[in-house]
Amino acid sequence: MRSLARAAFSAFRVSVRLRFISPWSYLNWLVFPVMFAAVGLYVLSRPGAASSHIVYGLLGGGLIGYWSVAYLDGGNGIQDERWSGTLEQIFATPTPLWVIVLGKICGGLLFGLLAFLPTAALAYFGFHAVLPGLDAGRFAISLGVLTLSFFCIALTLTPLFALWRWVFSMLNGFELGVYVLSGFMFPVAVLAPWAQGVAGALSPTWAVRALYASTLTEGPHDFAAWWLAAVGLSLAYLGGAYFLYALVGQRARISGQLALV
Amino acid sequence: MKRLALEGAVFARSTYLQYVALFQWATPQGYVAYKVLLPITQILFFVELGVYATGRQNALYFALGNALQLTANAGIFGVIATVANERQYGTLPILLASPANRLVTFFSRTVVNVIDGIATVIVGLAITVLLFGLNLQHANLLLLALCVVVISLTTAGLGLMFGSIGLVMRDAIIIANIVYYALLIVCGINFPVSRLPGALQLVSYGLPLTRGVQAARDAAAGASLGQVGGLLAGELLVGLTWALGGYLLFRLLENWARRGGLQEAY
Repeated sequence: MRSLARAAFSAFRVSVRLRFISPWSYLNWLVFPVMFAAVGLYVLSRPGAASSHIVYGLLGGGLIGYWSVAYLDGGNGIQDERWSGTLEQIFATPTPLWVIVLGKICGGLLFGLLAFLPTAALAYFGFHAVLPGLDAGRFAISLGVLTLSFFCIALTLTPLFALWRWVFSMLNGFELGVYVLSGFMFPVAVLAPWAQGVAGALSPTWAVRALYASTLTEGPHDFAAWWLAAVGLSLAYLGGAYFLYALVGQRARISGQLALV
Repeated sequence: MKRLALEGAVFARSTYLQYVALFQWATPQGYVAYKVLLPITQILFFVELGVYATGRQNALYFALGNALQLTANAGIFGVIATVANERQYGTLPILLASPANRLVTFFSRTVVNVIDGIATVIVGLAITVLLFGLNLQHANLLLLALCVVVISLTTAGLGLMFGSIGLVMRDAIIIANIVYYALLIVCGINFPVSRLPGALQLVSYGLPLTRGVQAARDAAAGASLGQVGGLLAGELLVGLTWALGGYLLFRLLENWARRGGLQEAY
C-alpha cells in the first residue's frame, strides 16, 4: 500500500511540475476561466439583476476552468504518455496503471481549483460581486463532492480517450454543452425538460447545484440528496472505468497497438 | 503576364495543399465535433445564459451574435493552425526555404478558411432559425449575406496577424484560443460594446467583428446597404489593416526564425 501511495505521489509531483511550465495549463486555469467569467459577469450583472445571477457569474468562470482542467489534463493522462513516448515504460512498471493516472489527475485537479482565484478576483474588483449568503461548511462539502465528481470523470475519460481518440474530439466539440447541462453559469431549471433529464445523469450537475445553493439563502436546499446523487453517479462512472482500464491493459500488452501515435 | 499566371498557380496550389494537408478537422468525426457540435453548443450556451439573465425576449440577440462570431472559428483557429501545423508536421523549414512569393503564400492561407467561415455561419444561422425561431422575413438577406462574407474576410485578416507568431512560437494555437474567446468579450457579441470600459471600447473598434456584427444585426432587422455601408467599410478597413500588419510581421519573424533556427523548434 505504501509503495502504491509513493508511486501515486511521484506521478502527482511530476504532473504538477509539468503543468507549472506548460502554457496550456495556464490557458485552462487562468485565461479561459477569466474570459468566461468576464462574459458571464457582463451579461448577468445588469443593473437591478438578482443576487443569484451575480453568484453564477462569480463562480461560473471558476467552474468552467476547473472542468476544463479536469477533462482535458486529467482525461489525457494516457494520451500524454503516448505522445511523450513513455507509455511503454509506464506499462512495464509493476505499479498498476490506475495508480499512476490517479496521481496525475490529482495534480491536474489541484491546478483546476486555482481557476476560482482569478475569477473571484475579477468578480470582486471588476464587478464588486460577492457571495451574499455563503454557508462555508456546505460550500466546502459541495466543492469536495464536485472534486470527487471531476476526479471520477477524469479517471473514466482517461482510458476512453486512449482507446477511441475520436471521443476526445467529440467531447472537445461538446465542451460548452457540458457547461449547459451541468449548470455551470445558469441553473439547469431554465433548460427544456428533456435536457434537464439528460443533465440529471451527470454527476457535476448535482454537485454544482449544491455548490450554488450553499451561497444563496433562497431556493431549495436539499444538500444531502444532491450530494448523494453526485457521489452515486461518480461511483457508477468508476465502475465503468474498471472495465475500460482492463481493456486498455489488454490493448497495450497483448496487441501492442496502444503506443501507436 | 506570365509572371502573374505563375503567381496565380502558386496561389492555387498553396491553397489546395494547405487544405488537404493542414485541415485537421477534415475527417467525419472532426467535422461533426468542431463544425457541428461546437457551433450548436456555443449558441445554446450563450443563448441560455442570456435568457437566464435578461429574459426569453432577448434570445435572438444572443443567438445572432454568436452565430456570426462563429466565423472566427475558421478565421482565427483555421488560419493560425495553418501556420502552426506546418511546424508540427515539420514542413515549416521547407516552406521558408522555398523561393515562392511570400505574399502569395501568405494570403493563400485564408481562402479555404474564409469559405469555411461562411459555411460555419450558415450552420449557425440555421441553428438559430430552427431552435430559436429567428425570423428573417423582414431581413435584408442579400445584405446579411454580404455582412457574413465581410466578417469572414476580416476575421481571417486578424488570423493572419496572429498566425505569423507561429513562425517563432511552438504553441501558437494557444494564441488562437485566447483571441477567439477575447472576441466574445470585446466585440459586442453578447452585450453592447458601450458597457465596456473606455479603453476596451477603443480595442473593440480596432478589431474585426465589432462593426460587422452590428451591420449584420441591422441587416437582419431590414436595414439597407446605405444604412450599414459605413460599418461594412470600416470592418473591411480593419480587416485589411490586420492582414497587412500580419504580412509585415510574417516577413520580420521569418528572418528572425531563420537566424535563430526557430522554425525547427518543436
